[in-house]
Amino acid sequence: MSGAAATTIAVASGKGGTGKTTVAAHLALAAAARSRALLVDLDVEAPDALGYFPGAARAGEGASASIQVPVLDEARCSGCGACAKACRFGAIVALGGVVTIDERVCKGCGRCVAACPSRALGERALEVGRVTRRSLGGLELVEGRLAIGDIRSTSVIEAAKREAAASGAEIEVRDCPPGVTCPTVHALAGADYLVLVAEPTEFSLHDLRAAAELASTMGLAAGVVVNKEGFGSADIRAFCASRGLPVIGAIPFSRERASAGARAALWAGDERARAEFERVLDAALAGARKKAAL
Amino acid sequence: MTTISVASGKGGAGKTSVAAALAERLGPGCLVADCDVDAANGAIALGSTIRERGPYFAGPGYRIARESCFGCGLCGAVCRFGAVRPDGTRYAIVPELCERCGACLDRCAAKAIETCEKQAGELFVSDTILGIPLVHAELAPGGDTSGKLVAKLRSRARELAEDGGTVIVDSPPGIGCPVIASITGADLVVLVVEASSSGLRDARRIAELARSMRRELVAVLNKAGLAPETEDLARAYLAEAGIPLAGEIPFAPELRSVEERGLTWASARLAGEGGARLEAALRALRGAIDAIRMKKEEGKEKP
Repeated sequence: MSGAAATTIAVASGKGGTGKTTVAAHLALAAAARSRALLVDLDVEAPDALGYFPGAARAGEGASASIQVPVLDEARCSGCGACAKACRFGAIVALGGVVTIDERVCKGCGRCVAACPSRALGERALEVGRVTRRSLGGLELVEGRLAIGDIRSTSVIEAAKREAAASGAEIEVRDCPPGVTCPTVHALAGADYLVLVAEPTEFSLHDLRAAAELASTMGLAAGVVVNKEGFGSADIRAFCASRGLPVIGAIPFSRERASAGARAALWAGDERARAEFERVLDAALAGARKKAAL
Repeated sequence: MTTISVASGKGGAGKTSVAAALAERLGPGCLVADCDVDAANGAIALGSTIRERGPYFAGPGYRIARESCFGCGLCGAVCRFGAVRPDGTRYAIVPELCERCGACLDRCAAKAIETCEKQAGELFVSDTILGIPLVHAELAPGGDTSGKLVAKLRSRARELAEDGGTVIVDSPPGIGCPVIASITGADLVVLVVEASSSGLRDARRIAELARSMRRELVAVLNKAGLAPETEDLARAYLAEAGIPLAGEIPFAPELRSVEERGLTWASARLAGEGGARLEAALRALRGAIDAIRMKKEEGKEKP
């Protein structure tokens, strides 16, 4: 990674609804007070981060997130079926010399195009989502949004990551999707530090375990923020201690915070939370620097 | 067999708790399929003991045999998913990023790329304290094809379901591939709308998806009482979209993690007005499910 690249902090959780977006939004704000910061919403199936910044101005037209899908030139096609045989996703059927392409399940890998001996396959861009960019004072905002009915979340995530990387921000905060499989992996890839948001419930603990395992598989340094502390009895701190995962912050549960969250309102004037996010940001940046030094 | 999918778009909206409560209300003859394979909490929610387990294979992936690779980098040039990385003077495939398309296999000049198959997860059938079987899975973190695993879970649930029984599918959050696999063919989609602006926004996306798949919908508002103005927007949206609202479940700290004490929202006995609203919501959802079941039975009798 070049020296000019942003320090990237990913916020994830395993379980949905633990407070990823809330934490990411406040971390990004804390970062914007220090340097050029960017918040990128990579939860492309349920993008909610921009909802916290209704005053943000649109920056640019927004871009299409697209993949390259095959286009058949029937005049050249010999009907040999090499393309169908090459496709691992069942997107091409060759029956009786007639080739049919199903763009909905194509992943855009291009293998069929290379496999065609008659050069009968070209390619065209197919939109699978949108990437939008907004700006609010010192904070840049990027959102990836998967088209409804589409399954290619990871292509939208990669498009949003490219848009974020082009912004020139010094600190990039990523709001990642829930879960621990492909969309999350793509959202985490390339991050310098992972902030895992957990709540003190057995559900969250179970999913935190999987997320911590994913972080270790991907070689990502991680720290945990215990959100809604006091709202359940699962011992997140004991789990973290057993795994050597640092607890880098804790936000006590309060009805006021829950209510603000329900309105997608920032915790303005919440001095306790503000100070805690400063601490979390310090820990995340220190963790990222440590990784860079290795 | 009747299939009810519980979905929300947003994570943490209360899908698993609603699914567990509905299972308790429907009682024996129903079965739960926890299709949120990324964050599988059904086993905790229903207090389960594994009775049957089997491996899940997602299909072959690829790896580069180091000794055969001469580092030309053609594989990296052809890969559109960023899954090939330099590894010293050679190349390696990052399995978590690999889409397993095989484009590199065709391109490799050294024929150094081989297929490999690794267990991606495990499927379970469990007994629960409610006396209702649970079909669930654990996917290895970093795995892919959760949509395929959902399809497997649902087919196992179909095999186990009694004639005339009900399968409750606990769907993952989002609107992507495992969600589509979770609501495909469902007779009714129970839309859990978290009464928050994020919850409403995400519910609209999943409702639009379910509509495009021609699924019937019934909604329940969860965590009501935190943001009254947002709730009004949610009610207005549902009315406009023609999605019946079964009821409203209050935001109550007492309802948080009742499953950890061996209860569900159907047995939690929440006191006061909130308890009455919860009860009314569960009864209305039960009514909606019964209506669907009856419609199906009638359809069967007619030639």
